[in-house]
Amino acid sequence: MKTSDYLKAGWLAFALVLLFVIGWESYWRSQGFDLSYNDDESLWAFTRKRIYNTTPARPVIIGSSRVKFDIDQTQWEQQTGEKPVQLALVGTSPRPILRDLANDPEFKGTLLVGVVEGLFFSGEGSPMEIEANKRLKAYPKWSLSQQASFYMNQHLESNLLFLDEERFSLNSLLKRLPIESRAGVFVFPNFPIRTGYTNPNRQEIFSKDFMADTAVQHGVQYVWSYLGMLSNKKGVGGDTLSGIIHSVKVNVDKINARGGQVLFLKMPVSNPALAAEQKSFPRKEYWDRLLLETGSQGIHFEDYPELSKYVCPDWSHLAPADTKPFTADLIKIIEAKTHWTLQKSPTSNHP
Amino acid sequence: MVFNSYTFVLFFVLLLVLHNLPFSWKVKKINLLIASYLFYALWNPPFILLLWLSTVVDYFMARQIAVTEEKLMRKLWLTVSLLLNLGMLSYFKYGGFLLENFTALLNSMGIAYQAAKPDIILPVGISFYTFVTLSYTIDVYRRKFAPEPSFLNFALFVTYFPHLVAGPIVRPEDLIPQFKTPRKATSEQMVWGLFLLTLGLFLKVVIADGWMSEPADFIFGLPFPVNPLDAWSAVLAFSAQIFCDFGGYSTCAIGVSLCLGFTLPENFRYPYAAIGFSDFWRRWHITLSTWLRDYLYIPLGGNRSGSFRTYVNLMITMLLGGLWHGASWNFVIWGGLHGIFLCIERLFRSWSRKSAPMVAEGVIIQATLIPVRSKNLSNFLLALITFLLVNITWVFFRSPDFGSAMRMLLCMFGVITQGPKMLSTPDMLKVALVTIGLLSFHWSMRDKSVKSLFTSLPWWFSGTAWAVMLILIILTQKSTSSFIYFQF
Repeated sequence: MKTSDYLKAGWLAFALVLLFVIGWESYWRSQGFDLSYNDDESLWAFTRKRIYNTTPARPVIIGSSRVKFDIDQTQWEQQTGEKPVQLALVGTSPRPILRDLANDPEFKGTLLVGVVEGLFFSGEGSPMEIEANKRLKAYPKWSLSQQASFYMNQHLESNLLFLDEERFSLNSLLKRLPIESRAGVFVFPNFPIRTGYTNPNRQEIFSKDFMADTAVQHGVQYVWSYLGMLSNKKGVGGDTLSGIIHSVKVNVDKINARGGQVLFLKMPVSNPALAAEQKSFPRKEYWDRLLLETGSQGIHFEDYPELSKYVCPDWSHLAPADTKPFTADLIKIIEAKTHWTLQKSPTSNHP
Repeated sequence: MVFNSYTFVLFFVLLLVLHNLPFSWKVKKINLLIASYLFYALWNPPFILLLWLSTVVDYFMARQIAVTEEKLMRKLWLTVSLLLNLGMLSYFKYGGFLLENFTALLNSMGIAYQAAKPDIILPVGISFYTFVTLSYTIDVYRRKFAPEPSFLNFALFVTYFPHLVAGPIVRPEDLIPQFKTPRKATSEQMVWGLFLLTLGLFLKVVIADGWMSEPADFIFGLPFPVNPLDAWSAVLAFSAQIFCDFGGYSTCAIGVSLCLGFTLPENFRYPYAAIGFSDFWRRWHITLSTWLRDYLYIPLGGNRSGSFRTYVNLMITMLLGGLWHGASWNFVIWGGLHGIFLCIERLFRSWSRKSAPMVAEGVIIQATLIPVRSKNLSNFLLALITFLLVNITWVFFRSPDFGSAMRMLLCMFGVITQGPKMLSTPDMLKVALVTIGLLSFHWSMRDKSVKSLFTSLPWWFSGTAWAVMLILIILTQKSTSSFIYFQF
């Protein structure tokens, strides 16, 4: 091969890649998808770095997907002048993160903990803790190089749709191939590709297609059914439950002792998932006991008509149009219940 | 900084620009040195001090060794260098391991002792740069060459970023002479270097991280036995993952270096086409195996002191080679198994040499009842057996502890058959495809090089294959996961 052939091969490769990238991006854009950010370890670590100097107006939120969908950060900022620090992780128990914050002597702020009983009251080391533990393990190792890559990646992700790993990466697309799996193997089902997107503040939002197309909604409902959301199986009890609540109390006490505050939140859920949850995790045995034994305050959506008037299109999360009034009411209810100051005063000079 | 990150892309582009500007050669070398420190510091800045310490001490010790005639003093200077390098390595890498085993020993003797768990972070690449500097001082001591007079050249040799954190483990003669005269990549070197960088990233990002890590990590992370097919899939997945991860890193390092005009030694030569274990170690992590040969096996006596001593030396070398990989008994067992296979192979070879009259050109003579096979087929079968045995050793390399490794082996060989099926069909298909692809590619390329393949193809074909790899990297989108060998 001559030197000129090396150069020709290189230029051909460059041209083909450029054409592919333009074509690939154009294709997904033409399909009407919304831009989404990868909710990966770097974005979580970047958010985790912002937990200090938090206040009731700028709380840290932990939990699972419900608090990520339902608390609208723009609305929150409009009313309080501050954005919350969203650390919740989809499909995980928040207890490992609660423990991490409790053990961080510098964290003295306000913590909102979203409770989805099936995830929250899961045994130590259960699959519901895997993702949270992975993030916690990666956070202290988030190197300067990774941080620099993250900032560059954020810029690219703000402009290129196809960089959404969850929907358009090779593995994600391969997982969507209709290949039947072996009998007896649990395979995590795919959410419809048009379910929703993540914004740079880690808020999850249902897409317009999801809201307009009941087939997509049924696709998400199918995933919940497959994962056992409609199951009436009784949750953990006995010593396991006592141990879980005790560990939560220990961590809440640590935060309180440093001058911090913890508030538990039970976000809206609709039937038939609501009925199943009520059977599996009766309020008295789980939610009420959690608040009582940890000596904490909590807001349960069923106690407030303003919070319980919504219907979740997938049974579990609020529609985008509902998250704004819901958040506005939630802020008022938190203020009334805890006497914390969240909303900026009319005369304040917040931007 | 890892090669598969946006930070590296920016860093590399800026460095290439600087390296091709009309600065003096000294300025370009200073640029490279600063860039190398930056490359390392972006992982954990304080550990730069260890690199400096190692560089400065070895530079001056080597000079002292060279100018000293008195034997005892020469040994003293060498000892200072060895103590520093091996001391740092021992403290950071084996401190916790030694303490843990010391505690276990005392407890087994009935002495109640509980040591506080040391909070030691392993500086990335310490095993690699320690071996680089050790070879320099030892070679100067052996009067193989004179010490490098230029501190800049020496510092760059130790710190040069492409090899710094995960090899190839360079020798002074590989690199220092290249720093003496101005270097700039030719167009051909630049294109070939970029191709190698793409190939390395393809192996790492697409195969190792994108396809193989998930099934391997999932099954090896389970605390219970699994179905035999799942166990085999996980081991084969790890086999492909470790090659593509480490081979990918070396290929990137060689490619990146070539873009700057410097050649690094080859580190992998299609290891899964190896026929026997001695062939495997001529193809896997070549720069480590030759290092262990030259600085451990031969000084121990090699094969010059009789058969028994040869086997002992082989075992010592492989056990220490295993321990080099990590402070855990599983790595020692991994090295030990390789040592045992090497010894068996050596025994078999010496036995077959004695019975050589029965064999003509590798084909069993016609008088025998054993079916006659072509040399190629026999070799292929031997390569498959070697691959199978290598996979068994990988179980110890990958498992978190001895119990997990034994459980995995019992599942693989059908002793435990009741474990559940865990892997999905697509995951198993990926493992099967990659394994078959990797074995076929290694076998067909056994005596060739990627460059000979690249140049034998029409330019448009090579260009298209290159583009396909780049597109798959872009599509896979796993951008910043660390390389497995960084932990060693």
